[in-house]
Amino acid sequence: MSFFEKGPPFGNDAHLTRLIDDLNVGFWEYNSVSKEVKWSAGFYSILGYQPNEIDSSAQVFFEHLLYYQDKPVFFNALHQSRLNQNPPPISIRLLTKKDGYQWFESTVKKQDDGYTDTVYGLLINVNTYKQQSIASAGSQFTQHEAFKIARLGNWEINTLTPTAITLSAQVYDIYDIQNHLQLNVEEFISFFEPPYRPLLQQAIDSAIQFCHPFDADLLLRSAKNNLLWLKVKGVPVIDDYGRCIAVKGIVQDIDSEKRKLLKLEQSVNLLTDQNRRLQNFAYIVSHNLRSHTGNLQFMVNLFEQTEEEEERNEIFSHLKTISDSLNLTIEHLNEIVKIQTEITNERKLVELEPLFKNIRSALKNNIESINAIVEYDFSQCTEISYIPAYMESILQNLLTNSLKYYHPGRQPVIQCYTLKENNHIYLIFEDNGLGIDLARHGDKIFGMYRTFHRHADARGIGLFITRNQVEALGGTISVESTVNVGTKFTIKLV
Amino acid sequence: MIEEENPVSTWIVDDDPIYVYGIRKLMSIRGANAQVSHFPNGLEAINQLKNLSESHQTPDMILLDINMPTMDGWEFMNEFAEIKPRLGKEITIYLVSSSVDLNDINRAKSIPGITDYIFKPVKGTHLTEIFASAQQKVNERIKKYGT
Repeated sequence: MSFFEKGPPFGNDAHLTRLIDDLNVGFWEYNSVSKEVKWSAGFYSILGYQPNEIDSSAQVFFEHLLYYQDKPVFFNALHQSRLNQNPPPISIRLLTKKDGYQWFESTVKKQDDGYTDTVYGLLINVNTYKQQSIASAGSQFTQHEAFKIARLGNWEINTLTPTAITLSAQVYDIYDIQNHLQLNVEEFISFFEPPYRPLLQQAIDSAIQFCHPFDADLLLRSAKNNLLWLKVKGVPVIDDYGRCIAVKGIVQDIDSEKRKLLKLEQSVNLLTDQNRRLQNFAYIVSHNLRSHTGNLQFMVNLFEQTEEEEERNEIFSHLKTISDSLNLTIEHLNEIVKIQTEITNERKLVELEPLFKNIRSALKNNIESINAIVEYDFSQCTEISYIPAYMESILQNLLTNSLKYYHPGRQPVIQCYTLKENNHIYLIFEDNGLGIDLARHGDKIFGMYRTFHRHADARGIGLFITRNQVEALGGTISVESTVNVGTKFTIKLV
Repeated sequence: MIEEENPVSTWIVDDDPIYVYGIRKLMSIRGANAQVSHFPNGLEAINQLKNLSESHQTPDMILLDINMPTMDGWEFMNEFAEIKPRLGKEITIYLVSSSVDLNDINRAKSIPGITDYIFKPVKGTHLTEIFASAQQKVNERIKKYGT
């Protein structure tokens, strides 16, 4: 049964008819007045039927073959074609005999040779392509979702236009830019914080010039003023001559991981510091106690080997001295242990001026006996959240130190003041005293039982305690000094 | 016999008066044939070494402490290395310290001028040995150079 048996619309072109029947496309014709429907043999066969196996009627087509959801599309195309508009091909699903619904591309046209009530169309099975495109759209969607979840964007720079950069939608999301402005390379870089800009610029330049790939963690300030860490990677694409023709790369939001890492590093540093203090403590315990107990053993042995009363008395006086020294050392060790236990104490707001005044009046005798001038200026930072006992001990130790090592050749001037710089608060302590040769003693000045002047009161513990207190609260202490000129301690409190 | 031998000239460089008293006492108990001088820190000992005009005044042996104010034992050894060529005779140096820190012990081993590391408190038998070997060196030198 041939398509044109009910009246050849194209004249008696038998070979054309056969050709059309053999094509893997289906033809149909529909007269909107007589409601007559014609299907070509190909129409049946692409649906998996023998010719005339089912009735070629509009009712069969719409009720059995056409997927109900695709009806509006098809009607719309029919309607458009009757109005002499040539609608574009549409995709519809038709029920095949064996393979369920399959996708077909349908083209609808109106006869333009007088048969004005007739529309005809053709169907091509596009199921494979349609499925592929659906799959590909799906995978694109999945990929897009994955990139979105990973907060990962692509960028690309072509070396022919090295100032231009192509950015994927995700980059704009990360940058917090709503409308997808066309950015150039310089603008792309300008979103990073100032210290990181030259790094990225150099990395891109060296990728283009020397084909060096790069991978850097940089801090970005987004359009909404959010600070976040990004990983920026770039890989050069090279031509057959080994020249870089493009740089492809990604930016990824790694903020939470990076911040965790930085926090971890901080904790490690803190632990290292604490560990160092502990080791130092262990060393002091072993060394200082050993020196006393060694002497104790020594004297006791001599005592046993001595018969003379006078000698024994002398040894006994030494034994008393050792006993006092042992006591003192234990007290010092207690002070150090106290630092560790007090660290859990609450920080309170410490007003520096009244505290310093108190300490100054407590040391009034020492100050007056050497006629020293002790000045202070806490205007830059009047109060600080600190452990009060520490602050008191720090100020007292530094003042005592300056008073102890004054220069006898001039009037001692001691100044204590605060500074605020880049979110840090510094406490500065300056004197015009003896000073200390830091080239020789620099590393030991904050050690324990290190004394550098032949001074009767030198205990060699004050600065050790001070350093421990400062560091225990996360600060640092440093010293500058010139012999016979003076000493300046700089303490970063926070 | 002992009276006929030249005494071992010994310098004690240490800031701990009790140890100095003890070591002198121990020497006398042990009958060490020594002529002892004491310096409270490395600096005073170095200055004295620099000022010596006669080589026979230089010590045969130095008992050197590590932890001292103004100039500790390590610094003394650095300074000593510089003036050593100018000294007329070899000086035996013992590092005497209560430190049992491995860092200190290894550091002492790495300094060629140090003969040995002695832990405080110094034992009498050990002191006797040290003086015996020092005495031997003194006697050999006298035989060779007559001074």
